[in-house]
Amino acid sequence: MQNFISGIAGFFTRLKSIHPLLPWGIALVVLLPLPQFTVNNYQVYLINFICIMIILATGLNIVKGFAGQVTVGHVALYAIGAYTSAVLSTKFGMPFYVNLPVSILAAMIAGVLVGIPSFRLEGAYLALATLAFAQAVEVYIRVTNYLGAASGIGGIKAPEFFGYSLRKYDDYFYLVMPIMLAAVYASFAILRSATGRAFMAVREDPISAASMGINVRRYKLIAFVMSAFYAGLAGSLYAHMLPGYVHPNNFTVIEMVTVLLMVVLGGIGNIWGGVIGAIIVTIVADITREYYFYQLLLFGAVIVGTVLFMPKGIGGIIDRYFVNRRFIAAREETAEVKRGIVGGSPDESSG
Amino acid sequence: MLEVKGLNKSFGGLHAIRDVDFSLPEGEIRGLIGPNGSGKSTFFNLLSGVYPVDSGTVEVNGKDLTNAEPHEVAGAGIARTFQLLRMFTEMTVLENVMIGYHNHVQYGPLAGVFGFGRVGREEKIIRREMMEVLAFIGLEDFADIPASELSIGQRRLLALGRAMAMKPRLLLLDEPAAGLSPVNVDHIMAIIVRMKEKFGLTVVIVEHILKVVMETCDRVSVLDHGVKIAEGLPQEVRDDEAVVEAYLGREMDDEEVKRAIHA
Repeated sequence: MQNFISGIAGFFTRLKSIHPLLPWGIALVVLLPLPQFTVNNYQVYLINFICIMIILATGLNIVKGFAGQVTVGHVALYAIGAYTSAVLSTKFGMPFYVNLPVSILAAMIAGVLVGIPSFRLEGAYLALATLAFAQAVEVYIRVTNYLGAASGIGGIKAPEFFGYSLRKYDDYFYLVMPIMLAAVYASFAILRSATGRAFMAVREDPISAASMGINVRRYKLIAFVMSAFYAGLAGSLYAHMLPGYVHPNNFTVIEMVTVLLMVVLGGIGNIWGGVIGAIIVTIVADITREYYFYQLLLFGAVIVGTVLFMPKGIGGIIDRYFVNRRFIAAREETAEVKRGIVGGSPDESSG
Repeated sequence: MLEVKGLNKSFGGLHAIRDVDFSLPEGEIRGLIGPNGSGKSTFFNLLSGVYPVDSGTVEVNGKDLTNAEPHEVAGAGIARTFQLLRMFTEMTVLENVMIGYHNHVQYGPLAGVFGFGRVGREEKIIRREMMEVLAFIGLEDFADIPASELSIGQRRLLALGRAMAMKPRLLLLDEPAAGLSPVNVDHIMAIIVRMKEKFGLTVVIVEHILKVVMETCDRVSVLDHGVKIAEGLPQEVRDDEAVVEAYLGREMDDEEVKRAIHA
């Protein structure tokens, strides 16, 4: 097992050295025929839904995992994305390619609102403030007739490109899967740059980060708006997916706990962990759908169990296989740089 | 270089800093000493923007930094270290130093998505430059280890490395040698002096160990109860009556002592 995983890791490292986008291109090609291996339509629906959940969880991982801001408002941003698309599609007859960017923009603006309390609040207090926001959004949707109130909005049109409508789940997969890959790639690209380091510094010690020149508020806000981008994207994709129906029950605190479970189970601050968590939790949630109330009990217990016994989640366990390898590679690189320095000016490196 | 005039700061009823004037010419190593609770750390926190000041002004190279945000202070070329270190313990030693370099990174926050080639090239350069910093402080062998696994002495070195990566002009060191053995104290002081000479820095050192301050610093300022009670060459300050009194306390008359004991 260990050899297998580190073998894959080595393979990807080699691919990346050819071109940074190559592994992603290969992942795209490998995933393309996925709907062909399904038994029925429902499985394709589930795969599409998993893709959307991966986008949502990846977004939450940015703000919670990397920047360390405990937000419970993420599901409200998801709702805002979904309802913006729903309203634009059903009331104004706008097409998908207009709705998607507008929904993302709406979620990002709301993301600023969720992010502002983080300037002053921390930990559980921030969670409470953002929870209030999430509840306010959900209740507002439930009582507003324009937004379909308790009966939801139906009849959202499927995306249409050049006269071809993505009305089947199989077709929708070819829209949602590449977007999901691009979203995961983007979060990798950003979080592995100086921005990701700044997020982590803000998470670990905001005062220290600030005194080293990081504008803490700015980076908190960037994290919130980035995660809102992902939430809006996921929301819009969800609204436009068959059956084109959004209901307030899809955006409750319970859904928030589910997304939180994905991130916690996968490993906070671990992008691949979040992806794996999203896949596992969505499938388990689907299997246990008949036992709805026990499901919550299960999820809550798994969150507590994960935090207590596996604080770094599934991603942490996988990382353990990777780390040795990465450590060796890093040591080699370090040694190389060191040789360069020592060779250049020996007096600087002594002492 | 650094001009502080009439600085005041109170926490409730405690007047922590009282009308402190502080003037520092370029290129000097200044020692800042005083008994526990005399306001040394508070003074640093006021300079670096962690606390807002009640009144007074802070000027660096003619630029007003009174009540500036900490990151603005850092942007003006002032680096500080913390008495309690404040490492990013879950990040590697190299990443810790890279955070210090943050303000010098050329690409924007979202450049990673589209400009991956450019970001990759620059990251490589940053990595190399930061390895040189680690080599300077002697931690190059620990680059990829989480900072949490370093010893106290190594963390003190890393704190210097993080400050050095910021490429500052003024360095504020809050007890850089606290908790170290005498050998390590000498080692870290030697590094501070070498750093100062190599980069032409101006340095302020808060320190408890008087011997260190006397040996390293060009001039020494003394705080007591938030008031600057003395300033001058190390020799002068050591022989100053007010300083001796602040450190050792007033000698009591025999009778007074007796009364205190028998009370």
